[in-house]
Amino acid sequence: MVSSVAMTAADAHRTIDALWRIESARLIAGLARLVRDVGLAEELAQDALVTALEQWPRSGIPDNPGAWLMATAKHRAIDHLRRERMLARKHEALGHELEMEQQLNGGKLEAGADDEIGDDLLRLMFVACHPLLSTEARTALTLRLLAGLTTGEIARAFLVPEPTIAQRIVRAKRTLSDAHVPFEIPRRSELAGRLSSVLEVIYLVFNEGYSATAGEDWMRPGLCEEALRIGRILAELAPREPEVHGLVALMEIQASRIRARTGANGEPVLLMEQNRALWDRLLIHRGLLALARGEALGETRGPYLLQAAIAACHARSATAADTDWVYITALYDELARLTPSPVVELNRAVAVAMAYGPAAGLELADRLAAQGSLESYHLLPSVRGDLLAKLGRYEEARGEFERAATLTHNTRESRLLLDRAAACRRGRT
Amino acid sequence: MPYMLLIVEPQGQRRLRSPEEGRAVYEQMLEYTAGLKARGVLLESNSLRAETVRLNMRAGRRSVTDGPFTESKELIGGFFLLDCATREQALTFAAECPAAQWATIEVRELGPCYD
Repeated sequence: MVSSVAMTAADAHRTIDALWRIESARLIAGLARLVRDVGLAEELAQDALVTALEQWPRSGIPDNPGAWLMATAKHRAIDHLRRERMLARKHEALGHELEMEQQLNGGKLEAGADDEIGDDLLRLMFVACHPLLSTEARTALTLRLLAGLTTGEIARAFLVPEPTIAQRIVRAKRTLSDAHVPFEIPRRSELAGRLSSVLEVIYLVFNEGYSATAGEDWMRPGLCEEALRIGRILAELAPREPEVHGLVALMEIQASRIRARTGANGEPVLLMEQNRALWDRLLIHRGLLALARGEALGETRGPYLLQAAIAACHARSATAADTDWVYITALYDELARLTPSPVVELNRAVAVAMAYGPAAGLELADRLAAQGSLESYHLLPSVRGDLLAKLGRYEEARGEFERAATLTHNTRESRLLLDRAAACRRGRT
Repeated sequence: MPYMLLIVEPQGQRRLRSPEEGRAVYEQMLEYTAGLKARGVLLESNSLRAETVRLNMRAGRRSVTDGPFTESKELIGGFFLLDCATREQALTFAAECPAAQWATIEVRELGPCYD
C-alpha cells in the first residue's frame, strides 16, 4: 500500500529532528572553520535548522538534505562575515578586514568534501574538550556540539536542572571565544595531552550511560550510544592513534553486555552472573577488531588499550569459570604501573582474589581501606563485603554491604547491596 | 538500537546493466557506505551475489534447490546494519541510500523473534 502522497508537517519535523542529530556536528564544524567561533557556528547552524523547519513542511524534504542544510548555513555565515566586514570598515580596522576577506575567499559555498569536513570535525572535538574548560563544561559542550543533543536532553541524561546545563554551555562558549581559542588541530607537542582530554570526555559520557551514578535507572543506554558514535567517528579521523582504538574497543565490548546487565525487573546483574548468550556478538567482534587495530600500532599499550584487553579477556571466555584471571591480574599490574590509582588498585584486588583466592584479594583491599583514599566510593566496601563473605566472615561482610548501600546514589544498586547484606545475616554469600 | 536496511531489488535488474553501469552503481553504494562510516553509525554492510540456493530440513531430510527462482519477483541484494538512535534516523539514512532510487529499502529493527 502506498501512502506517501503528502508529507505532513509532523513527518517533516520528525525527519528534521533525526537529521539534526546526524548532521549537526558536521554543520557546526564546517561553519566554525569559516567564522572561527564554535558558539557562533552553532547559532548559524541552528538558523539553518529553523529555515528548514519553516520550508520543508511546504516544499518537501530536499534530495540531499544534509547538503541543503550546509549550503543554507554557509550562506548565513557569509552574510554574517560581510556584516562584520562593514562594521570593521567603519572602525577602520584594516587588519581585521583583511582577515575577514581571507575567510570569505577561503569559504567555499558548496558542501565541503568529506575529508575536509572530517578535519573540521576533529578540530571541533579538540575545541569542545579544550583544557581551559572544566570537565563538566567539556562534557556538556561535546554532547551539544558533537552529539546534537538539546540542552534539555543533556540535563535529563545527567539529572541536572536544565538551566544549569544551559548556563554551563553558554559560559563554555564564552570562555572559548574570550580566549580566542584557535579552531585547529593541536601541534604535535601537545597532541597527546589534548587527545587524552577528548578520550576522557567520550569515556565519561559512556560511563555515565553505562552505570548511571544516580537515580532510578541503572543504565542510560542513550548516552552509551552517543559516546560510541563519537568514538567511532574519531577512530576514522585519527586512525594512527592507538589509544583511540583502545577506547573504541573498550566501549564496544562493554556495550556488548548491555542486554545482559539487567534482570527481568531492571535489577543489575554483575559480570560473573550474566547470561553470556545475551552478549552482543557483533559488538564483541567489532571490539576485538578495534583492539587488534590499536595493538598493531605500537609496542606499548596505553590505559585504554589495557582496559580493552581486560574487557576482551572476559568477552573471549565462553563461561565465567573459563576466565583467565591470572592474565587479567597481569594486565591490571601493567595498568597500575602506568596509571596508578586507588580505583585501578581495587580492580586489581578483585582480579587477584579470583586468580589467587579471596584472602589475597582482601589483603589488597584492606590496604586500600587503610589508606582512606576511597572513603566515599561504594565499590570498596562492596568488594570487601564480597571477599569477606567468600571467606565466611558474614558479620563483617554484612557491615560492608550496608555501608556500600549508603554510599551509592543509585537506587537499584543500593537495593542489590542491601539484598546481599540480608543474605549475609542468614549466613550466605 | 541496531536497524537492518535490506536492499530489495527487482529480480533480474542486475542483468540489464552493462558492466560499466554495474560498477557505477557499486561505486555509488561504496560512497554511501563511507558516509555512514564517517557518521559513526555503520556496524556492518555488504552486497550479496545474485546466485542463490535454497535449503530446508523436513523430518530429518535435507532438500536443496538451486536458483534462480523465477516465481519470486524480488531479490535481497545487500544490507546495511546501522546503530541508530531512533527509527526516524534509520529512515533518514534509508532515504539517502542510492539504492532507494532503483530498489526498495526494507527497514527492520533487530530484536528477538517473539513478542
